[in-house]
Amino acid sequence: MSQRDLVAELRAAHLTAPPGLRERVRLISVEGQPAPRRITWRRALAVAVPVAAAVAATIVFTRPTHQANRDQALERLAPATVHGSAASVPAPTERAAKAFTVPTAPDRAQQVGATLGLRVATAGAVSDAVKRALAITASLGGYPLSVHAQSHGKTAAAMLTLKVPRTHVSEAITRLSALGSIRQEHVDVTDKQAGLNTTDRLIARLQRQLTTLRAQPTTATTTAQIAALVARIEQLQRGEAATRRATHYATIQLSVATPQPTVATHHGHGRLHGVVIALTWLGIGAVYALAIGVPVLLVLAAAWFAVRMVRRRREDALLG
Amino acid sequence: MTFAQAAEAHLDDVYGYLTWFTSDRFTAEDLTGVTFERALRLWHRFDPDRGSARTWLCQVARTVALDHFRSEKRRTRREQLAAAPEAVDPRFGEGLSAELESALARLTPGEREVVALRVLLDLDAGAAARVLGISSTNCTTRLNRALKKLEEALNVAA
Repeated sequence: MSQRDLVAELRAAHLTAPPGLRERVRLISVEGQPAPRRITWRRALAVAVPVAAAVAATIVFTRPTHQANRDQALERLAPATVHGSAASVPAPTERAAKAFTVPTAPDRAQQVGATLGLRVATAGAVSDAVKRALAITASLGGYPLSVHAQSHGKTAAAMLTLKVPRTHVSEAITRLSALGSIRQEHVDVTDKQAGLNTTDRLIARLQRQLTTLRAQPTTATTTAQIAALVARIEQLQRGEAATRRATHYATIQLSVATPQPTVATHHGHGRLHGVVIALTWLGIGAVYALAIGVPVLLVLAAAWFAVRMVRRRREDALLG
Repeated sequence: MTFAQAAEAHLDDVYGYLTWFTSDRFTAEDLTGVTFERALRLWHRFDPDRGSARTWLCQVARTVALDHFRSEKRRTRREQLAAAPEAVDPRFGEGLSAELESALARLTPGEREVVALRVLLDLDAGAAARVLGISSTNCTTRLNRALKKLEEALNVAA
């Protein structure tokens, strides 16, 4: 029998499914209509996109702003300045002129320092601001420690170091802040009371020793010890007095200046500079993606081929 | 095309393919039922652009048959320890000579399935290769080998 005859005979084979099987398949196809998939990719997308948008909107609109962060930080820092021995309070600009209070404790010896940077429109305004600052300082019982002023064309700047009684430092800063628009403001409060208390106790102890020595018979040794103790006590008392004087006055560094003339900066970049930078970063990203992705793809492809080969061999063994 | 239409149109083809593949009509009946149950569950995956419903149903039938062969192999291995497996009298269809039935029974399931797909169902080489998961060339080679084996068996019988 030739292969053509063989194929013809094979094709002539008649195979019909038995009626029982036909009925069973009919029942499967009629009664068992598949339930539509509850989660399709379109439905998943229809849910996922609004959810992602809502999450993004929540993050964007509920994120605290930079200003709010700074205010919160200031609120957190303020109590520490009262109770701590030393703290620095960066005061918010612009708002300070309206309500500024230096967190000091009047019954404790505290060293207060403040830096205030103001900007005024013209060189003449700088001169006026210096005059008014000196007047404010004098009216509060303070005095200027140093005044430096300079002008060049339409620009001018002045730097003043003012000493103001500590009890009036808040008022001084408030009034000085009103002389121009605030560009910089900084307050330092350092508590010296603990150090003074220690010095007081040390002086008292030394004085008791001095009294004891004076009660003893006078000898060359006791005389030398008394002289040393007296010198030590005087030194401590001078230091203590200097500290109290320093804490009586607050030091305010006031700078007043006109805006610097803006100079147009030209970096020599053309209109396509941004595009070039973007393409550069895209290129860098592509190189990284290739360096990482190609080996991963090769490994995955090798794994896929291996699995396929093993499956084929098993199938052949099963059907062979 | 709905699933019901596809099932009605290609039931005989699937049944015939499975009969030749398994060389057992009763097993083929069971596997055909399982095939259409599974096909009904997977019908949403059927894409007419990628192939005909008949090809797709044959792919499902082949997977079902392979599962059957695997479980049969495990079962036979277990049962051979107790008793010899029961011999099955293969019948591949009406109108075939006894010599041809016998020759077909001597082919391996792998050889019979390629003959069933290419000759009985008259699938082209590409469609048959897609069902078998091999290349068209490989499919043609397998068919030629199977037909040659059949021819030799028939010549020996004659």
